[in-house]
Amino acid sequence: MRVGMPHMGNLYIPFKALFQRLNVDYVMPPLTNQRTLSLGVRYSPEGMCIPFKLTLGNLIEAAELGADTLLMPAGSGICRLGYYAKTQEQILHDLGYNAEIVCLGVSQRKLFGLLEMIKRLSNDAPWSKIISAFRFGLAKLNALDRIERVVQKVRPVERVKGTANKLFAKAIEAIDQADDYNTLKRVQIGYIDQLNQVTKDSEAQPLVVGIIGEFYVLLEPFSNLDIEKELGKLGVEVRRTTFISEWTKFSLFLNPMGVNEKDRIHKAALPYLKRDIGGDGWESVGEKVLHAKEYDGLVHLAPFTCMPEIVAQNIMSSTKENIPVLTILCDEQIAKPGMLTRLEAFVDLLEYRRRVKNKHRQID
Amino acid sequence: MEAYLGIDVGSVTTKFAVLNGSDELVAHIYLLTQGKPIDMVQQGLKQIKQQLPKDVDICGVATTGSARYLAGVIVGADLVKNEITSHAVGALHYFPQGQTIIEIGGQDSKIIIIRDGIVADFGMNTVCAAGTGSFLDHQALRLNISIEEFSQRALDSTTPVRIAGRCTVFAESDMIHKQQMGHRTVDILYGLCQALVRNYLNNVGLGKDIQPPIIFQGGVAFNQGIVKALQEELGTEVIVPPHHEVMGAIGAALLVHEEIADSHNGSKFKGFGISEIKYHTSSFECKACPNQCEIAQLSVNGQVLARWGGRCDLWERSPTS
Repeated sequence: MRVGMPHMGNLYIPFKALFQRLNVDYVMPPLTNQRTLSLGVRYSPEGMCIPFKLTLGNLIEAAELGADTLLMPAGSGICRLGYYAKTQEQILHDLGYNAEIVCLGVSQRKLFGLLEMIKRLSNDAPWSKIISAFRFGLAKLNALDRIERVVQKVRPVERVKGTANKLFAKAIEAIDQADDYNTLKRVQIGYIDQLNQVTKDSEAQPLVVGIIGEFYVLLEPFSNLDIEKELGKLGVEVRRTTFISEWTKFSLFLNPMGVNEKDRIHKAALPYLKRDIGGDGWESVGEKVLHAKEYDGLVHLAPFTCMPEIVAQNIMSSTKENIPVLTILCDEQIAKPGMLTRLEAFVDLLEYRRRVKNKHRQID
Repeated sequence: MEAYLGIDVGSVTTKFAVLNGSDELVAHIYLLTQGKPIDMVQQGLKQIKQQLPKDVDICGVATTGSARYLAGVIVGADLVKNEITSHAVGALHYFPQGQTIIEIGGQDSKIIIIRDGIVADFGMNTVCAAGTGSFLDHQALRLNISIEEFSQRALDSTTPVRIAGRCTVFAESDMIHKQQMGHRTVDILYGLCQALVRNYLNNVGLGKDIQPPIIFQGGVAFNQGIVKALQEELGTEVIVPPHHEVMGAIGAALLVHEEIADSHNGSKFKGFGISEIKYHTSSFECKACPNQCEIAQLSVNGQVLARWGGRCDLWERSPTS
């Protein structure tokens, strides 16, 4: 049995740590790239969203490397994603790969579902070993996200553009290499320190833009054409509430205990949307309402054909909480020059708005 | 004479505008890009120089349009600005009370919503050029009339024909069908204008709060048939400003004037002499990762001036660094 899985941002790093500690025979497909996209587009039904196409591409690339047991999230209550694993398995079989997709049914059985699956993959390793490996994976995940939050702050104000991105790339590699808690801690502290020491423009007051929308396109930079880096280049500070570590913390540990971080977001959305509409649509509406006062603008990312986000987009345009929103639909047709033109114009719009606001403040 | 130059290099046309120190338009030209943006920038510089007085002093240059980065490297731009902002700034200079700007160019079309004198929202067409000037050009070619004649004759229509305008390919078969049914050419022409307007409002204008005064600019605003169809569809007057076809270039010039005034730095303009330089463009496929990005580069005498086109910053070389 050789295990493989699709990519989503840096998610492969904690999984790698987990597999290594449990001596699972695994293979990681190459990071999502142009070939992944071509494969995914070629073998997917046309109307499928970009998360389906890219993860299918990843799975094919993993199967090419000999993986016969593939991980994919599944279950009810998410969106169409709940059925993707079955569809993708069928496509893989039609292509002649004799691979089985193991569904990560995190939506129902939470942590226990995940742990049971790991037990199966690890060929019945003892629970103590599984839990210790799982904890180490989580530690890597947390370290990655902590560093990324600092990177988001440094990008817009660094004197030499690209410094934070280079450090982040090195940090990702160092975290991937770390094989004990001490090293991991040293790496985390070391890189956060280096990021804080990057020469910055002390007078810059970057615009603050929140990135909201569908989970996968928020977290997979290939699917959103590195939108966070591009906004950073334009001198904009990006804030995002969606991080894998946050999701893990709540979905796996706190939600079963009755703590829901999304309550606040859902409550904010209530005047406009009273129920879950699948995917992250409810959250998108809530985040707009919540952040209208805090941020200068919002970039709303959604996969093309994503029903929940399209519903959210149309509700967002008519809330009384007013903040400019730029919706970007991600699919294989999206072209970088077009996206950059829109981002540049959006940043200009926010800049002019801020100038007018400051003028009013001076008059008052 | 203190002067500011705005250059708007679009997919179909290249526009130049020169403003004096009081932001008055002193010279402008409008050329077809013909797929050769570098040649057109050089030719445009040569031509506009002849329209300017001998003592002209270019204090700032800005580029805009889809080839703004390329043009910026060639002329030594002080400011490279996206075409949405440039068009808004240009239009508001002449009509500060404007609330909606409709801009239809050769390959793209935009809508810009203005509230309280600043941009509040905007939209731009995505992958399809059905609601743009290319659509009209193509259909005029099929009917074997010039685009100038198109504009005049569309106004003679008495009973316009309804043509499916969602897609150029379907529009074409629909148009041929209508011709073969015996409809008059003028009615088909005006039908095409209505189709373009419907397409524009249903795509780019979808969900936008279109309020008067409405300013209509871009090359397609030359077409009287489109102006009429827009007014009919929107049920209100549409203002076509003078020099609407170079409004993006005017906006860019206004922006660089403001920028230079704020910074007190001299212009990076390389001078009119660059129209004689031989630029060389080439491209290659990056092999560093499986993304296989196509990197384009611009060089002079074997020296690379700029590179772009990668997903990452590996090859990126902007003129400033």
